[in-house]
Amino acid sequence: MSFLAFLFILISLVTFVAAQLILKKGMEFSATKGMRNSYFVSRVAIGVVLMTVSFFLTLGLLQRFDLSYLYPFQGLSVIFITILAAVVLKEKLSLRLTIGALLITAGIMLVSMS
Amino acid sequence: MQNRPSGFGNPWLQLGMSVVCVFASELLLKRGASEIAAPHDAFSWTGINGLASPLVWWAIVLIVASFISWLYVLRYIPLNFAYPLSRVVDILVPLGCWIFLGELISTLRWCGIALVVFGLGLVAKPIAKMEQRL
Repeated sequence: MSFLAFLFILISLVTFVAAQLILKKGMEFSATKGMRNSYFVSRVAIGVVLMTVSFFLTLGLLQRFDLSYLYPFQGLSVIFITILAAVVLKEKLSLRLTIGALLITAGIMLVSMS
Repeated sequence: MQNRPSGFGNPWLQLGMSVVCVFASELLLKRGASEIAAPHDAFSWTGINGLASPLVWWAIVLIVASFISWLYVLRYIPLNFAYPLSRVVDILVPLGCWIFLGELISTLRWCGIALVVFGLGLVAKPIAKMEQRL
């Protein structure tokens, strides 16, 4: 894998994870304060832009690599989102949830490696 | 997770719909991207040339549908529960290929699927208990 491919996979992963965290913040806010406010609109807008960037980078990567080759990197998003949701969004992170997320990540990697 | 709507507005149902849309869109995207693959064109790294494929447009429709469902899910379910559960799609794709396309699944892949199922079980168990209490 070239440096460029690695860089694009990394940016795709980082933008996807960041989008999920920002969208969650926006939707949580909307549950109490409604959707007609600049905070909600800006969070959803930033989330959509980040997901769009991730989408087109993935589309470019799919033209060069098999879906099964790219899947392990998508699998990493499970553990990153689980940990960052606890750190950034202050969600509860139990040992059971951490082990579950690790098993899902390992399982996705095995599925794509085989 | 309290005060959540029931029926079509049930966030767990919406999570399921989001997963099904992602599952279908992944397969369409791969087929669409393969159709118009131009690996020697530097511009194709952006993926924008993928828009020339109708399959990619169908995938985009499904992605938008899954995104709307997903936003709804985020309103009611914590991200660190919802996101790992949404990865059930990672076992649906190989199982779909096995059931519908007759592709073989190796022992290693079955082990991977078993790990994902076990992981999903660990994540889902406290949710099931919480639901029973509500």
